[in-house]
Amino acid sequence: MKKRRSLIGLAGILLTVTIVFIYTGRAHLAQEPSGYSKGKRADIVTIDIMSKFGPLERSEVMFLHDLHTETLEKKKKDCTTCHLMEKEDPSLPRPARLSLKFKRHKDLDKQEVMDIYHNECMACHKEMSDEGEKAGPIEACGECHLKETNVSSSQQPIILDKSLHFRHSEANKDTETGEGDCALCHHEYNKSTKKLFYAKGKEGSCRYCHKMVTEENRISVRLASHQACVDCHRKKLDQNKGKTSGGEHVAGPVKCSGCHDLKNQQEIERVKDVPRIKRNQPDIVLIQANGRNPDKQKSTLKMNPVPFDHRAHEQYNDTCIECHHESLDSCTKTCHTQRGSRDGADIQLERAMHQIDAKISCMGCHETKQQDKNCAGCHTFMAKNRKHIESTCLVCHMTPSGGGPENGQKPEVFAGMLLQTRSVLKDTYSDEDIPEKIIIGELMYQYGPVEFPHRKIVKTLVSNIVDNRLAGYFHAEKGTICQACHHNSPETKKPPNCTSCHGRPFDEKNPLRPGLKAAYHQKCIGCHEEMNIEKPSPTGCADCHKIVGLPQL
Amino acid sequence: MSISRRKFLGWLGVAGISTVLDKRVYAASNKHFSGYPDSGGVLYDNVLCIGCRDCENGCNQVNELPQPDKPFDDLSILDNKRRTSPKAYTVVNRYDGIKDAKGPVYRKIQCNHCLEPACASSCFVKAYTKTETGAVTYDSSVCVGCRYCMIACPFEIPTYEYDKALTPRIMKCTMCYPRLLKGKLPGCVQLCPTEALTFGKRTQLIKTARERIRKYPDRYIDHIYGEHEMGGTSWLYLSGVPFRDLGMREDLGITPAPELTKGALGSVPIIVGLWPAVLTGMYALSKRKEKIAREEKEEAVATALAKASAEAEEKLSKVLTEAEVKNQTAIEGAVKKALGKVADNQTKEGT
Repeated sequence: MKKRRSLIGLAGILLTVTIVFIYTGRAHLAQEPSGYSKGKRADIVTIDIMSKFGPLERSEVMFLHDLHTETLEKKKKDCTTCHLMEKEDPSLPRPARLSLKFKRHKDLDKQEVMDIYHNECMACHKEMSDEGEKAGPIEACGECHLKETNVSSSQQPIILDKSLHFRHSEANKDTETGEGDCALCHHEYNKSTKKLFYAKGKEGSCRYCHKMVTEENRISVRLASHQACVDCHRKKLDQNKGKTSGGEHVAGPVKCSGCHDLKNQQEIERVKDVPRIKRNQPDIVLIQANGRNPDKQKSTLKMNPVPFDHRAHEQYNDTCIECHHESLDSCTKTCHTQRGSRDGADIQLERAMHQIDAKISCMGCHETKQQDKNCAGCHTFMAKNRKHIESTCLVCHMTPSGGGPENGQKPEVFAGMLLQTRSVLKDTYSDEDIPEKIIIGELMYQYGPVEFPHRKIVKTLVSNIVDNRLAGYFHAEKGTICQACHHNSPETKKPPNCTSCHGRPFDEKNPLRPGLKAAYHQKCIGCHEEMNIEKPSPTGCADCHKIVGLPQL
Repeated sequence: MSISRRKFLGWLGVAGISTVLDKRVYAASNKHFSGYPDSGGVLYDNVLCIGCRDCENGCNQVNELPQPDKPFDDLSILDNKRRTSPKAYTVVNRYDGIKDAKGPVYRKIQCNHCLEPACASSCFVKAYTKTETGAVTYDSSVCVGCRYCMIACPFEIPTYEYDKALTPRIMKCTMCYPRLLKGKLPGCVQLCPTEALTFGKRTQLIKTARERIRKYPDRYIDHIYGEHEMGGTSWLYLSGVPFRDLGMREDLGITPAPELTKGALGSVPIIVGLWPAVLTGMYALSKRKEKIAREEKEEAVATALAKASAEAEEKLSKVLTEAEVKNQTAIEGAVKKALGKVADNQTKEGT
């Protein structure tokens, strides 16, 4: 009797498990969207507009935009199937464009917006399905309002770098004047006439006005770029219909993946030598803090001003916005003044230029350049936020040798003069001053002495950076490169060697100083790893040593 | 017996509360152990570790462990994840493909020498000792082989010589305690070529570790593993990648293992020592109560009996008296009657 009861119980448990399994399995199957490619996509638009009217009753909809564009394309339909065209209206600050919203211009009412989506989406799906084609969901709510999906977004922001900028201005070049039509994208807003207008010489990044979110009458950069870019591309595509200029596309992308897919981005041709973008910018600037009294002829500052090669830095960076983050005006004029101002979030000139952990500052950017493999071997082991030695300050804050604005010289002329006198790394000490080989034999128990190719290493370090202007300026002194290993001592022809400081390990008086064995291994192996030097390998003891005995314990 | 179920449960509750109260008293008495002063420790820095296995080699030789099948310079052994064994007090594992790591990342595993070791608190024969050098040592001569320490250790370090039938021992890193006493470095630290293993006073090691994090914030995770884990360990870790990616437990909390069991184990003496007394007392009380009740009852019975007997006696005497009177009257009657008869006869005869 007891046995039978337990059997029935077991059967009951099994049945429940099976039912649960089947049920969850079904539910999972039901949620799998038909026609979605698995994995990552760049065209996911999350429809959560209803959250504007209160908490969502159903989960938001993952809408695959390109999938719909492609389907419509096949059916010879265009964007206007879903997006309405604005009416030409003189009160608009700009010409009429396609609305970015689905089948409407404004989100007026909860019911209305919901109905638009439900009716319009499903009507089209139904139409297609009636024609016997594969179509989207029609009735089951959960097929659009998925609880979980197996696709995730791989959207990459597109950066309009100077190459892409050049391609745009080339594409819209006036055939007569040979100049790009800047007014096509760049505009200013006239408050009195409430119209957009083009102001020559005032162009700047879209982001200067169009911020991350819509502010008053300035739409967000997301809306602005989609409205302007995609609309223009669409018009071009219409104009150039049928034309194929040697297989190249005749207009910019209109699909999401065209701009936002990483692979597509990499396929966009990069113009190598982009001509300089001209916007009345200076070639050379003398960066100096504005004194409190601008009328004063003599600067009250203690620090030497910095001659800055603006033209060269334009080449090093892809966009202006990398330095000019809020406007193309001078950094020092109103924002980052010597004492800081409200416009510059109270960030003084000193911080704006020296903040080492902010990539936008001079030193922060230069610090990131040290991650290059030719630099990282030495620079990785330099403490972050270390105090920089005085001589490195003077590389930028050059000591003037006469002239200068105080003596009536124009700042930019003075800056140019200073730049020409800036010394750069050419070579280090002569060969006879650099020992060719060093036999490291202080620690010989298990391993024999190491023949250290000293001169070869010095020469390699120099040749690695001799063409790098930034490195060249900061390693101009002959002894600077020696500091790679002979650190914490003055730059001289005959620096102390490793044993001068490193000896017995775990010295209680100097707990942060590695012992001699560790000093050698940390420096050699660390540098090789950072510089991607595979031979000698870190664990290949015999690559450097001859093994002669047993470990000394 | 007059202990009801309800009463018994009530007492049990009181006993439970008393253990909680006991804990509070401890907490208020600033009785906090933060390790022996100046005790030693080792800082393992995996940013400096090159995965050469020299530490394993040093450990093997110093502790005279059996030679492994593959030599120590065979790094192919790092392709598999290993754990400590009776033949290896320490092992190095390699972790590939960790997010944001430039190359492989290494992790050295050995006894962490907790400040308040779980193994020691679980051992009922006191085979484990936290020494003043920082090392947690094990004495096989008293070990009974229960292996509670292996279950107690949150880092799964102690191992057992299952292959020895007669004299199996627990095997684990000793921080080279015998060498420390001689003023030498632990074997692993001695052979490490890059000072990825630093030996020193634990307090100093924490300062050193902090300084490394401060100097190279990009190279290190801002955490010293072992500073507080399980109440702190003498072996400390710095890492360039999150510790969980190296399989190091981050769920251990900062409470030392003995603290976790102290409340329960602390109540054992109370229960063992006090409860018999309490129960005996309760028994005696209830016994006494019974006794009094019995006495009272007896007394009452006696009184009642006495009263009853008195009453009965009285009744008897009354009855007796009545009977006597009755008898007397009867006798007198009879006598009178007899006398009358006699008189009658005399008169008859006389006449």
